[in-house]
Amino acid sequence: MLHYLKIWLASARYSIVRTLMFRGDFFVWSLVEFFWMSVNLLMVSVIFRHTDSVAGWSKYEMILLVGTSMLIQRLLMGFFWSSIFEMGRNIRSGYFDFFLAQPGNVMFMATTRKLDPDGLINAFVAIGVVAYAARELGVHFDAATIVTYLFMVLCGLVIHYSILVLSISMAFWLTSAHGIEGSYFTVTEFSRLPKEAFKGLVTRVLFVWALPVVVVSNTPARLLLPRYGFDWRWAGTLFAFSALWFGLAVLVFHRGLRRYASASS
Amino acid sequence: MLSSLNKYRHAFLVGLQSNLVYRWNFAARGFFSLFHLAVVFILWGAAYAGSPSIGGFDFGQTLTYFVTLLVLQFFIGAFNEDYQISEEIRNGLINQFLLKPINYFLYRFSIFVSARLVSGVLILVPLVVALPFIGPYLTFPHELWRLPVGLAATLLSAMVQFSIAYCFGMLTFWFLEIQGFVILSMAIEVLLGGQMFPLDLMPAWIFRIAQFLPFYYQAYFPGAIFTGRIGADLAAHWLAIELFWVLALLGLNQLLWVRGLRRHTAVGG
Repeated sequence: MLHYLKIWLASARYSIVRTLMFRGDFFVWSLVEFFWMSVNLLMVSVIFRHTDSVAGWSKYEMILLVGTSMLIQRLLMGFFWSSIFEMGRNIRSGYFDFFLAQPGNVMFMATTRKLDPDGLINAFVAIGVVAYAARELGVHFDAATIVTYLFMVLCGLVIHYSILVLSISMAFWLTSAHGIEGSYFTVTEFSRLPKEAFKGLVTRVLFVWALPVVVVSNTPARLLLPRYGFDWRWAGTLFAFSALWFGLAVLVFHRGLRRYASASS
Repeated sequence: MLSSLNKYRHAFLVGLQSNLVYRWNFAARGFFSLFHLAVVFILWGAAYAGSPSIGGFDFGQTLTYFVTLLVLQFFIGAFNEDYQISEEIRNGLINQFLLKPINYFLYRFSIFVSARLVSGVLILVPLVVALPFIGPYLTFPHELWRLPVGLAATLLSAMVQFSIAYCFGMLTFWFLEIQGFVILSMAIEVLLGGQMFPLDLMPAWIFRIAQFLPFYYQAYFPGAIFTGRIGADLAAHWLAIELFWVLALLGLNQLLWVRGLRRHTAVGG
């Protein structure tokens, strides 16, 4: 465990030094992510200019939900996005060989190599959005609530990480998985919706349970809302989903790895 | 005249063939757009549950707006033309066009038209699949003038979309990496182009400003004509402003091309 922490710290140090070398890039990408977050918040504001509730959720409850969803996504962007995104291209080009010769688990090495400080900076903006909405809703924070909320966000991060690894692992079979990462963003659009908005049985089964992105954002957001609070069934479901999806990602990645034949002559 | 246009016809045909190679990519993109439509359906359905009319339009009219915009995007949206132009400048592939009697803008525009023809036709396939679910909600106005005026606005919108992408591609003459600019601009385009929500739902003063920006004419304007969000009295007025933006952007394209070429260095042989 300590061995992996050392490897990760070395990668993180390298990424931060690289960011300091390209400060302009860091500024532009931080702005890009900030803009996309603002677009989502603006959409909530515009909808609530014309209605008082969306599936029983008030404006600030929705902002809290969107903020939570953004927090999980920013953490994914900050810690894993660049590495996993490049993984697909490396599998196609043969540069993936490099990770096979690394001193550690291939999946760990390939998915944690790069850190994006711009994504992490915006995670603080997302925390600010959650804190602002919580204050407007009069949410009372205690240590247990904060720890539970953070644990749920962590479980959500594991699920998002697993979905992304699963999508990009398709490159082992398809070779050209160019653009497949776009499917991740489409799927995560659902995470900004309250579960109560999903009415029909098919939509519930398909979008809430089969693709658990709704559970990922709704569970921590509901924990903070006084009218819901902690519900062990939701917490248990989230934890079980994170274990299940992570297990599936590990399985598919290693199945794919067996098919990897490099690209050298 | 006709013989000089013939080379662009060939560029169009070659573009058509190469885009047909990527038909599955476009088909997959179209399929995932249905997920976006599902999000729109669920979110706006929930919003309309508390209010039968939003901004003077019912749920069916709002859903029709989003479906129309989705189809328009696949027919006229600039997907990755900016990156393609950027790559050609960066890799020096552009050098071959400098030595031949071919206009680079028209060459790229011919390829853009062929690519959108393929993606536009392919989006109709998942849409036909989704029709049993969304069909009962779709409601279009019956005024006949909307069809010719909407089509004219659509053609001009295609020019606006392509010209903006071309401008970003030209930035490669000054900057090595344009991806950050493109994605930043995409966020503004998605917002002020009406893809996140109908622009007329914004506060009146922001909507007023948006109407004078080119993003308004990327998809919202033709979409609003087709779906009845703009009346006959204002359509001609905004069509004139759209024409102004097309001319202004074409001028900017030419300026960036001339200025950019002065900085360009062709190496190798």
